[in-house]
Amino acid sequence: MMIEKYKRYFPAAGVIAFLIFCWLTFYTVRETQFVLITQFGRPLYTVADAGLHVKWFFQTATYFDRRLRVYNPRPSEFLTRDKKNLVIESYVAWRIQDPKRFVETVGDPIAAEMRLHDIVWSGLSAALGTHDLDSLIAPIAETVQASALLDQLSTMTDRAALERYGIQVMDVRIKRLNLPEQNKQSVYARMRAERERIARQYRAEGEEQALRIRADADRQKEEILSAAYKEAETIKGEGDAQATKTYSVAYSKNPRFYKLLRTLESYKKIFDDKTTAILSSDSELLRIMMRGESGAK
Amino acid sequence: MQVLLKPEFAPVAPPQSRRRQLRQWLGGALVLWLLTSLYLVNTQQQAVVTRFGAVVEPRVLPGIHISLPWPIDRVTRLKVQQLQRLVVGGDAADTVVGRAQPLRLQFLTGDQNLISLRVVVQYSVGSPVDYLFRTNDVAQVVGAAVETALAQRVAAQTVDAILTSGKAAIQDDVRSAAQRLLDQYQSGVILSTINIESVTPPPEAADAFRDVASARADSARIVSEAQGYANDVIPRARGEAQRSIEAANGYRQRKIDESQGDAARFTQVAEEYAKASEVNGQRLYLETMEMILPKIKKLIVDDKGHLDLTIIRKGEK
Repeated sequence: MMIEKYKRYFPAAGVIAFLIFCWLTFYTVRETQFVLITQFGRPLYTVADAGLHVKWFFQTATYFDRRLRVYNPRPSEFLTRDKKNLVIESYVAWRIQDPKRFVETVGDPIAAEMRLHDIVWSGLSAALGTHDLDSLIAPIAETVQASALLDQLSTMTDRAALERYGIQVMDVRIKRLNLPEQNKQSVYARMRAERERIARQYRAEGEEQALRIRADADRQKEEILSAAYKEAETIKGEGDAQATKTYSVAYSKNPRFYKLLRTLESYKKIFDDKTTAILSSDSELLRIMMRGESGAK
Repeated sequence: MQVLLKPEFAPVAPPQSRRRQLRQWLGGALVLWLLTSLYLVNTQQQAVVTRFGAVVEPRVLPGIHISLPWPIDRVTRLKVQQLQRLVVGGDAADTVVGRAQPLRLQFLTGDQNLISLRVVVQYSVGSPVDYLFRTNDVAQVVGAAVETALAQRVAAQTVDAILTSGKAAIQDDVRSAAQRLLDQYQSGVILSTINIESVTPPPEAADAFRDVASARADSARIVSEAQGYANDVIPRARGEAQRSIEAANGYRQRKIDESQGDAARFTQVAEEYAKASEVNGQRLYLETMEMILPKIKKLIVDDKGHLDLTIIRKGEK
């Protein structure tokens, strides 16, 4: 009776039941996912291929993100072989590799990162303990061995993590090297001292160069002037010599007349209005004045 | 039509028209559903098509395309060429928020100086599939890769190199090293530029760093002053030299010309003198005396020792 009454809903119910069955049977796996199929809580197998897949309706699919994640452990302090403290900030690039193992051991990414932190921390402290500070940071790139250390650390961590937690560690890298806060003040003081030294050096070097330039300029000036003096005097000497030659040629033709002429010429220059001449009345000039015409003899 | 206009007033519709109505609805829905298989990719975009989550078309170029209808195929579009910007070490947004001193990343240099850097990274999508599906948080991966490359380069440089000449080299190095890491992680990202925007020494030592910069400027100034001095002194000396040489040349010419003039004059006079030497001698003598004696004081002394006062008075006039 009752069945008769609800008979007209049967097709609809059938469709709904079919849809539920499909929902439970088919599942899609995205590119970003792993799917772990479990049967009554027991992990059976992992599906890594993206696409449409089929399972029994009583099995459950659990989805895992298979994408690469970056985990940043908090900065921690490590001791190098030469007993220097370093604050190191690192990151771990990891992804789930084996979901079955992953779900059995850690379960979720947060817990996984806590485990990773432990592995990386012990790895880093062991690795740094075998290196001096100078091999991690140095002004010359060739001596820095940090990358070799990190490659070694990555493979080590990878092996450990994969075995234990089903995690693949792609990379462990140091993001930042720093010094502990309590050491920084002394480093700042050293930096200041270093800068002051460099500043002084710059100034002194500038002074040195400036002095050199000035001295060079002065030397050039002296050289130029002395060379010019030499040349000028030579030229003057030439003039004098030639003049002397000309005079001697001309005057030696009549030395008596030259003497007379030149002496008279000199008189004009020698005597001026401050000169007082005492002339004898018997002198050549005054004789005529004194004695009249007879003086002209 | 009647039914479509007032469905609520037709509680029991004839079965035939109800079926027709259902068919119409289903037909419409089917058409709409089939239309979802058409999709458009704009210029500057590329698309990835996934079928039940698996990639079937890794790179669809701009244009109109056909896929299987939703939800079988899904289309994810990406602006491939658009550069994305990431700031490592203190975001520019800090100043917007109002933090006066943006948080900067402090690095240890090769010569054990501490220095803060702010780096702007620009990247674009190289492989859409990798970009979409391989990493959890692309920006975080890019940031981590750039930071680690940067830390490594800075640890192998002196602080002076970073502050001055080495910056460009570091940028190039960091870009290639970070790109290698990102390729290794299959992030699908192409780094286009790494730009070290600011290099700042710690505030505790900032004034000392500034002093170095001003010392460098001072040194350059002193040197250029000295060069100015040299540029002033040497041309002047050259001018002076030229002047004295020219003066000497003039002197020589004058001497030569004077001597020749004097000689010519003498020769001519001497010739005439020779013709009547005694008369001419007397004449020259007297002429000279005439020129000299009026200017000078004269005392005429007699042979016997008397002074002729009249002559003195005449001389004083």
